[in-house]
Amino acid sequence: MSSAHSSHQGHGRHWWQGCTPGLRLARHTLALAALAVVLAPFADIAIHTRDPWAELGRMAMGMAWPAWGSLESPLTAIGLTVAVAIWGTLAGVVLGFPLALLFAHSRLVRAGCAFVRAIHELFWALLFLQVFGLSALTALAALAIPYAGIFAKVYAEILEQTPRAPRDALPPDTGRLMRFVYAELPLVWAQLLAYTRYRFECALRASVLLGFVGLPTLGFHLETAFREGRYHEAGALMWLFYLLIASLPWWSHRRLIPVLLIGGVWLLGPWPSVDGALVWRFVSEDIWPAALLAGDWAGLVEWLARIPDLGPAIGNTLMLGLLGSVGALLVAMVLWPLACRHFGNRGTRLAGHSLLIFLRSTPELMLAFLFLLLLGPSLLPAWLALALHNGALIAFLVARHADALTPGMPGLSASGRLAYELLPRLYPGMLALLYYRAEVILRETAILGMLGVATLGFYIEEGFDYLMFDVAFFLLLITALLNIAVDALSRRLRPREGAVMDDPCVR
Amino acid sequence: MESEQCHSRFGRPLVTFAGEDLGHGRDRQGRLDSVVLPGLTLTLQVGERVALLGQSGSGKSTLLVELRARLGRQAAWCPQHHGLVPTLAVYHNIFMGRLPEHSTLAGLWNLIRPLARPWREVGELCALLGLEGLERRPVGQLSGGQRQRVAIGRALYQGRDLFLGDEPVASVDPHQALRLLALIDERHTTSVVALHQRELALTHFDRVWGLRDGRLVINATASELTLADLDALYPDAEAPVSSLGEEALPAMPGPEALPCARGRP
Repeated sequence: MSSAHSSHQGHGRHWWQGCTPGLRLARHTLALAALAVVLAPFADIAIHTRDPWAELGRMAMGMAWPAWGSLESPLTAIGLTVAVAIWGTLAGVVLGFPLALLFAHSRLVRAGCAFVRAIHELFWALLFLQVFGLSALTALAALAIPYAGIFAKVYAEILEQTPRAPRDALPPDTGRLMRFVYAELPLVWAQLLAYTRYRFECALRASVLLGFVGLPTLGFHLETAFREGRYHEAGALMWLFYLLIASLPWWSHRRLIPVLLIGGVWLLGPWPSVDGALVWRFVSEDIWPAALLAGDWAGLVEWLARIPDLGPAIGNTLMLGLLGSVGALLVAMVLWPLACRHFGNRGTRLAGHSLLIFLRSTPELMLAFLFLLLLGPSLLPAWLALALHNGALIAFLVARHADALTPGMPGLSASGRLAYELLPRLYPGMLALLYYRAEVILRETAILGMLGVATLGFYIEEGFDYLMFDVAFFLLLITALLNIAVDALSRRLRPREGAVMDDPCVR
Repeated sequence: MESEQCHSRFGRPLVTFAGEDLGHGRDRQGRLDSVVLPGLTLTLQVGERVALLGQSGSGKSTLLVELRARLGRQAAWCPQHHGLVPTLAVYHNIFMGRLPEHSTLAGLWNLIRPLARPWREVGELCALLGLEGLERRPVGQLSGGQRQRVAIGRALYQGRDLFLGDEPVASVDPHQALRLLALIDERHTTSVVALHQRELALTHFDRVWGLRDGRLVINATASELTLADLDALYPDAEAPVSSLGEEALPAMPGPEALPCARGRP
């Protein structure tokens, strides 16, 4: 983005010149959108099914008349979903909190956390599946390990912003632990709790998704029902899922959590017996190319050359990430006023709120799966899913932030309120949220490959399917590095001026 | 000559600054990043009660922070803006004054269930400060004046000979200010208290230190000073507004000084 420098502040001769914050943000956004428009023709975004509407109609019928009676043991599936989510989150907290304390001091910890964070829960599940089989241990490890990295980073960021005054007021020879427990932890406790709660909600969605790799959570039944076209049963399962998410505030009450934890243990069993030798062989041999272990460099080059379509896969992943981010921005721009107290009436706001809750609580893999059935295999369903889910999440946060604002000038028309009062205050924060979210979008891009979209994730799953663990692991490493690079890039591009909407709940 | 008298009337010097620069932050060579009080010469005697006066930004807090650093454990400390933890109860905030005297385990247990002896002691202190019945209330739910008293309570609970307070009576009414200062006097032999109430400085303290723009312009016993002498510390008060006999209001800033650019040509 080249900014046209005019001799004075404010507007230049043309409307796009000048360096006021508003124009800078507008140029930033337009450049991003232009990049997406230029690249979009290179992406495979064709519609492949001949008659998507008939299929959509059948799905809608399924949602409208759910077949409650045909569900087999739905309570067990729900119980398992919740048990995996709650124990996975707890394990993530237990692992992540000590790391958060080291985060600022150790480059090694930061790098390690960035790495485990960069690989999606589903890929961890695919990896642990080879070692622990289809068991609760796989599910828990798949959630706990990436979440430990995420908790470490976000907790560290929250702790870093602890006000210093109470710490400085303590008597000078107070011990480190006492200082932490009395004058630091209580100040950020509410924030830590709010983030943990949000992460638990994410864990719940991830736990559903683990069904897609075969663990018997809600997602497993959902996928089976969808694949076999039993839409009435799938509809019932979807409703069950939304009820579970919507009733979260009631059943995740502080006093109920010990009950859920204890009940969860009982549901998670039986625990697999882990064969140490097998694990060791997997870690030390299976996931590395044989040529590398033998020190055969020529063989290694040959092995690399045999990996199929690495370039296009990386290209598709990045393209989908970019398109998804720009799409999410558009969706967020359109949707946030619907759920905000400054616009519409009670009815439209309720509808807007419901739409946002529906879109943000449906896992993006689920959305993509629906669109895939409708539109056929291309980047298009994945793009729509990413844009809608992430756009709704950003819109939700923006609307919540807008509700807290009071327009300085009463009696403006709705468009005036939007353009003069609210958008100038909200947009910088919105763009910053998008850049925070870009990392998450890219991570999700990779997993959409499991539905047949030719991103890196597609080849990773293929590698696991054909027991080519060395290829799968290599591609996982590439994915992780790509995520870390994009995270660094988006941190650099993120607008800082006036970005007040820094909510840890997007990370 | 007057400092000679001080040496005879009060005990040994506690802290002495001899032409030293005070300020914030130090670079690698140990030089100050920003000097607030250049070339300060000052002595604090045992048994002296000192009022520290000066406009906001004149260097009162810098001097107090430096005194605290030099006196270490000898001084009880009541910081500006209190430094309280809003989510913890009044009892815990006052208890923190003696946190280093307890083992880690006792300190942790105390968060769950108050220890018997500190609970009794803090209860007595709360009764003296007019905070009875509020021991279990989180500090975040208290009024400004109540918080101020909690901060003083924490300093009193430290049980030191020396009291350092950065505007400890800034947000309580005049009667309470008198009572709190009396309480501080009763429990400490030496004190340095930053204030804005000039009358209190003359009636309740032995000595006045007056800072203006980083210079110590007044260092005299309270008995030989008048309110007019103290007015010199507040240049804004020389404007006609001060004739009303109240604390000078800050002048209304012009539109140029406003942080928002709106309305500028």
